[in-house]
Amino acid sequence: MASCKATDAVFHVDPPPAGKKLREAFYCAHYIHSHIAHFYALAAPDFVMGPTSDPAQRNILGVISKVGLQIGGEVIKHRAYAQSIQASIAGKATHPVGGVPGGMSKPITEEQRKDFEEKAKSCVEFSKFSLKLFNDVVLSNKDYLNLITGPIYTMKSYYMGMVDSNNKVNFYEGDIRVVDPEGKEVAKFKPAQYLEYIAEHTEPWSYLKLPFLKKVGWKGFVEGKDSGIYRVSPLARLNVADGMATPLAQAEYDKLFKTLGGKPAHATLAFHWARLVELLYASERLLELCKDKEITDPKVRTIPTATPDEGVGIVEAPRGTLIHHYQTDKNGILTKANLIVATAHNYPAMQMSIKKAAQGLIKKTKDVQEGLLNMVEMAFRAYDPCSACATHTLPGQMPLEVVIYNSRGEVIETLSQNLR
Amino acid sequence: MKTLILGLGNPILSDDGVGNRIAQELGNRISSQDITVEETSMSGLSLLDLLVGYDRAIIVDAIQTTNGKAGQIYRLTPEAFNDTRHASSPHDVNFATALELGHRIGMPMPGQITIYAVEVADTSNFSEKCTPKVRKAIPKCVNMILSELNENH
Repeated sequence: MASCKATDAVFHVDPPPAGKKLREAFYCAHYIHSHIAHFYALAAPDFVMGPTSDPAQRNILGVISKVGLQIGGEVIKHRAYAQSIQASIAGKATHPVGGVPGGMSKPITEEQRKDFEEKAKSCVEFSKFSLKLFNDVVLSNKDYLNLITGPIYTMKSYYMGMVDSNNKVNFYEGDIRVVDPEGKEVAKFKPAQYLEYIAEHTEPWSYLKLPFLKKVGWKGFVEGKDSGIYRVSPLARLNVADGMATPLAQAEYDKLFKTLGGKPAHATLAFHWARLVELLYASERLLELCKDKEITDPKVRTIPTATPDEGVGIVEAPRGTLIHHYQTDKNGILTKANLIVATAHNYPAMQMSIKKAAQGLIKKTKDVQEGLLNMVEMAFRAYDPCSACATHTLPGQMPLEVVIYNSRGEVIETLSQNLR
Repeated sequence: MKTLILGLGNPILSDDGVGNRIAQELGNRISSQDITVEETSMSGLSLLDLLVGYDRAIIVDAIQTTNGKAGQIYRLTPEAFNDTRHASSPHDVNFATALELGHRIGMPMPGQITIYAVEVADTSNFSEKCTPKVRKAIPKCVNMILSELNENH
């Protein structure tokens, strides 16, 4: 979707209302399937089964055994609903082919709209159920709530995300807003201005660059207001916004910040909670769009007439802000591209979250078990990272090594998994 | 027997698209109404949506093993992927977990699933063509699958 918006900008063309609405409906459906998969398959096992439980049980199979097989069916059903909407609008759910410069390649029919509306209604109910499950399993458990709000998984940083004209969360279109660790707005900019606000640091040990706020500067891997490190994520989006644009999600937004002690919230594990608030917003917004009869207007594309040259497109991907910046020749052939994906924005913060978790969890007298590896993993799993997108390497594994040193710098224990 | 032949892969990532190529070739050669040939770039939980409702599924994909030689073809069953329940991706569940989930929640999963995996050399460079040794394996794998279909028809 960032690519669609970047090519709109390259060709200096604005899609008609139905084109924008179709894109946003497609994108809400994408959020629904992505957030459901992340929560139930990747986040819930740590909480439903327990962070140090047997890894053979700590997965989606363990979760559905515990919470009920029927819920497993609902998970699969609603993911499939979302993907069927995506495929129906844009040809395919994965690698869709519906977006073109100036809009979409085809309109939808009244029959499709009605089908989407029914599915969106069901997704709203499932999202409400998912938040109730989170409340019952996680928030009602004092140990888990302490884990979420405790220091091991807390990091004070700047936050970045997209907001609409009312400063409400928006995934598809708006300005980029940045708040400091105290929640004060420090920047609000249009996509085309991103290079005035973001710079990228490099380190010799990684070929993934480390973005930071240009005006604050790179101060190393340190937290706080003097460090230009910022985070993007579901929680970052909630932190930068004044609220949600739909009523049920707004109520959940209020509850989240009330429970976490106000805005901004710095609890990395609360990314999962924010993801469920967004699941509800995406479902409500999808329903709104599907009830809007204009979405079936056959005019879904503005044909470009200007000579293409350069453009920036930004959307909020499920895991955070996604920037595409293209330059082309006069025939529209790409000559230069710069992408900053969510995992790259979060790369500096992920390093620090992992270190903080490891340092907080490894104690001199503590027997180090497999569960420790998982609790370190939890620090970066919260970011829903896509290292393949960010680094273009495809290991297909989750290599991890924890090396424990004593006060003399001697290695006393090493735990590892999937190292080659 | 209602059969699905499903080619998996990314068709623009060199050898990763070998499953797609084999599915396309089979699609050109099979005319039985009982057999559906599809290709997809999806994985994990999304595969469940495609597998339901068939009696038998033949999945064709690329594979990379430690000592494998490009172009080798393996005929496997889902149990071959059962060695770990750890998440293999930070985004989705692995293939074995997805299948197990489908069974446990009572989805109408195929009773028989066979996987044809072709050892690949390059899954890093963008190309719509496979590397030479993998390309040579395509007609061989197509024939193996056609023979299996004929034997069990």
